[in-house]
Amino acid sequence: MKDGKLADKLSRGARVFGALAVLTAVEWFAASWPAAVLWLAVIALAKTALIAEYFMHASQLVRPEEG
Amino acid sequence: MQHAAGKLAAHELHNARLGLWLFIVSEAALFSAFVAARYLNLGTARPEELNQLLGLAITTVLLLSSLTAYRAETCIAHGDRAGFLRNTLWTILLAGVFLAGVVVEWVEAFHYFPPSTRFGTSFFSLTGLHGLHVLSGAVLLVGVYLHGRRGRYGPGDYWPVEGVVKYWHFVDVAWVFIYPTLYLVG
Repeated sequence: MKDGKLADKLSRGARVFGALAVLTAVEWFAASWPAAVLWLAVIALAKTALIAEYFMHASQLVRPEEG
Repeated sequence: MQHAAGKLAAHELHNARLGLWLFIVSEAALFSAFVAARYLNLGTARPEELNQLLGLAITTVLLLSSLTAYRAETCIAHGDRAGFLRNTLWTILLAGVFLAGVVVEWVEAFHYFPPSTRFGTSFFSLTGLHGLHVLSGAVLLVGVYLHGRRGRYGPGDYWPVEGVVKYWHFVDVAWVFIYPTLYLVG
């Protein structure tokens, strides 16, 4: 059986993936909105922030205990 | 430098992470130049013949591979070797599916907008550069998978896995910008 901490982290990964999937769906529709380039850039930056922080543990560089 | 037990000291791990992040930043600059070239050469124009469903499908596959890569790293960090091996294998398989999708995409693209056209130049250079990164990431994943099967890595001793997985996530981030740049803008 998985320990609680591992289960929590795996569950967090699934939630981040869910958010990325939703943003990708929004991106699909945003392509037809006015000022689409701007919206698409904002969505891409939001997806990057999610991946960098939760999947790549970017904050480990300044707080090594994170992750 | 690795110690006899294979573990890195805290300062060595910090330096290794910093070095990898600097490498990732330099790679991001390379991709940024290619993305910028697309806008400079074409503005926001794009051909109608782009296979939108295929683009969305391979984007989803790559996002899913980031989740399995994250799970692989998390599992080995907590001593779950079976979970690490299973998720690494899934990531490699998804990388294969992504690359197969790119091949299909290229076959179609050669027909509608070959590399000699303005959009084709951007399309083939961006997807080609990215595809090479996916391929190299998949080779590295196979390496950590094989080492993992032989009993290497464990809690506190998995820097090679962490490094490869971080690189894999970067490959995903690069596609996060390439996908709208090629398929959605315009």
